[in-house]
Amino acid sequence: MELSGIGPVEPGEGTHVEDAPDGHATPPRGRLAPLYARHRRAALAAGAVALVLAGGLLYATRPRPEPPAPPPYPSQAVEFTYLGPRTPPAGLPAGAFSFGIAVTTRDGPPVTVTRIAQPLPGLALSSRPRPPFRGPADGARTVVITLRVTDCGRVPKNAGLPFLDVTLRNKRAMEDHSFILGGGYAHDLSEAVEVACSNDTAS
Amino acid sequence: MPRKGLIVRQRSLIAITAALAAGALTLTACGSRDDSAGSDSEGSGGGTTVVIGVDAPLTGDLSALGLGIKNSVDLAAKTANKEKTVDGVTFKVEALDDQAQPSSGQQNATKFVANKDVLGVVGPLNSSVAESMQKVFDDAKLVEVSPANTNPALTQGTDWQKTKTRPYKSYFRTATTDAIQGPFAAQYVFNDAKKKKVFVIDDKKTYGAGLAATFTEEFKKLGGKIAGTEHINPDTKDFSAIATKVKNSGADVVYYGGEYPQAGPLSKQIKAAGAKIPVVGGDGIYSADFIKLAGASGTGDLATSVGAPVEELPSAKEFVANYKAAGYKEAFEAYGGYSYDSAWAIIEAVKKVVEDNDGKLPSDARAKVTAAMQNVSFDGVTGKVSFDEYGDATNKQLTVYAVENGAWKAVKSGTYTG
Repeated sequence: MELSGIGPVEPGEGTHVEDAPDGHATPPRGRLAPLYARHRRAALAAGAVALVLAGGLLYATRPRPEPPAPPPYPSQAVEFTYLGPRTPPAGLPAGAFSFGIAVTTRDGPPVTVTRIAQPLPGLALSSRPRPPFRGPADGARTVVITLRVTDCGRVPKNAGLPFLDVTLRNKRAMEDHSFILGGGYAHDLSEAVEVACSNDTAS
Repeated sequence: MPRKGLIVRQRSLIAITAALAAGALTLTACGSRDDSAGSDSEGSGGGTTVVIGVDAPLTGDLSALGLGIKNSVDLAAKTANKEKTVDGVTFKVEALDDQAQPSSGQQNATKFVANKDVLGVVGPLNSSVAESMQKVFDDAKLVEVSPANTNPALTQGTDWQKTKTRPYKSYFRTATTDAIQGPFAAQYVFNDAKKKKVFVIDDKKTYGAGLAATFTEEFKKLGGKIAGTEHINPDTKDFSAIATKVKNSGADVVYYGGEYPQAGPLSKQIKAAGAKIPVVGGDGIYSADFIKLAGASGTGDLATSVGAPVEELPSAKEFVANYKAAGYKEAFEAYGGYSYDSAWAIIEAVKKVVEDNDGKLPSDARAKVTAAMQNVSFDGVTGKVSFDEYGDATNKQLTVYAVENGAWKAVKSGTYTG
C-alpha cells in the first residue's frame, strides 16, 4: 500500500493525560509531601520573604533617568577673543589704549565674569562693563578694555604673548583663568605702550 | 473555601517570586556579558582591517610616556571596534619602539609605510624623532598625528618666527606648540611667581633647545634677566658642575628645556648645591617620574603642560575611567588624552573616506585619509579636536603645575585664542 500522507498518530501506552479530580488541588506527591504538609506555613513564609527580596532587588536595580550633567567648568564654557582697537573713553589721558573683547559662551549656561586684570607691571586696566557681569546666553558680548600706562620704566615694551587674567563663576565653580589673546593683541599693545611712553604722558 | 482561596493566592505569590527572581538573574547575566568585552577583535566592525601604527619610546628612560601613548591608542581602537564606529572596518594597533632615537624612528616609519594596511600613525613623542619621520610618511602620503611634539618648526617651518610655511601636509598634532608653551611659562614665572633672574639650561635636543629659546625670548621681553645658560649631556646624570654654576649665578629660578630623566636629578643636585630655587620645565618634565627622581627637595618645582587639567573636562574623566577599566599596567601619563584623540582623528578620517566611497576603502586610501584629516572635527578627550592650516591643533590650552605633597597640582590654566 502506498503511503498517501500523515494519518492520525495513535497514543502510545502510558501517554494518556490523566485528568485531575474537579475542584481539588493536586496535593504534593512523593517523599516531600509529608514534609510540606508539616511545614506548609514555614514554606509559604519563605516564599513571601523571597518575593520581598526579589521585589527589592528589582526596585533597587530599576532603570533610573540619568541625573542632569553639571555645567562645564567656567573656563571651558567661555571664550575671550581679541577684536582690535576701540576708541578710548573720554577723559582719559593721551596714550590710553582701548580694545574690544568678544566674550562668547561656548557651552552651558552663561558664566559670570567677576574680575578682569592683566599681569604686566606699569599698566592699569579698566573695563566697560565693569565686573561682575554675565556672559551672553548665546552669541557674543563685546567688552571694551582700557589700559593706561602708569610706569614707563616698568612696563614691557614688546611682550610676545600678554595675558588677560579673569575670574569666572558659574554653578560648577569659581576659577581664575588666563586668556592669551595672540599676536594681534601683543602687537597693538606694544604700539600703544610705545606711543604712550614716547609722548612722556606717563611717569 | 476561604482556606482554599488563601492557598491559591499564596501559590500565585510563589510563582510570581520565582518569575521575578528568574528575571533578575537574567538581567544580571546580561550585565556580566557587557562587562567582559575587551579584545581588539571583539565587537569588530567587520571585514576590512585597518592598522593604526604607534611610534613611541616603549623602552628606555622615556618609556613611561611612550607606553601611556601606546595604551591610549589601543583604547581608542577597541572603543571604535566595540561601537562599530566605521561600518565594515576593524581597527588594529601595531606599535613600534623608537627608543627616543631619530634613526629608530625613521626605520619604524619605513616599516609602517611598507605595511599597506597602515592608514595612519600616532606618534612620535620626541620632536627630534618626528623630524626624521616626516618626509618618509609624506612621500607615502601616510598621515601622522603626534600627541606630543611641541616644536613649532614641525608644522610651521624652520623660519616660523618670521614666515610660517607648512613643510609636510601629512603631519598633524593634537598638542599645542612651544611657540605658546615657552612664552606661557615665561609669563607665569615673571608675572605670577615674581621671579626676575633665570638660569636657562637645555639638553641641546630639538624639543629642549627650542622650548628654552621661546621661554628665554619672552622672559627677556618682559624685563627678566638671564643669569646664565648651560647645556647638558642627556647621557649623563651628574650635573654637579652646572648646579654649582647655578648656585653662584644668583638666579632666583631655573628654566630647563628637556625631559624628566635628566630634569629630576638636575633639580635634586641644584638644591643639594645650595640653590633653593624652583626648577621650571615644559611638558617633557610633567611626569610622576620627575617627582620620584627630584625627591623631596623638588617641592615647588613647576611644569607647564598642554591641555586643561583632567578634572575640568568631563570627556577626560570618562577617558580616565575607561582607561582604568581596560586594566592597562602603565599610567596614561601626560599624553594619554592627546594620544586617544590622535587615534580617534585617524578613525574619523577613515570613516569619512569609507562613507564617501560607498562603504569601502578606496585604492588610494592613504592619500584620501590624509586629505580628510584636514577637516576632521569632533569633541575629544581634550576638548574640540580640529586642525588649522598648518596641521596644528586649534585647541590651545596650557596649564602650570606645581609639585605639592609629592604630586603635580594645577595652579594656573590659560587658553590661547589668538
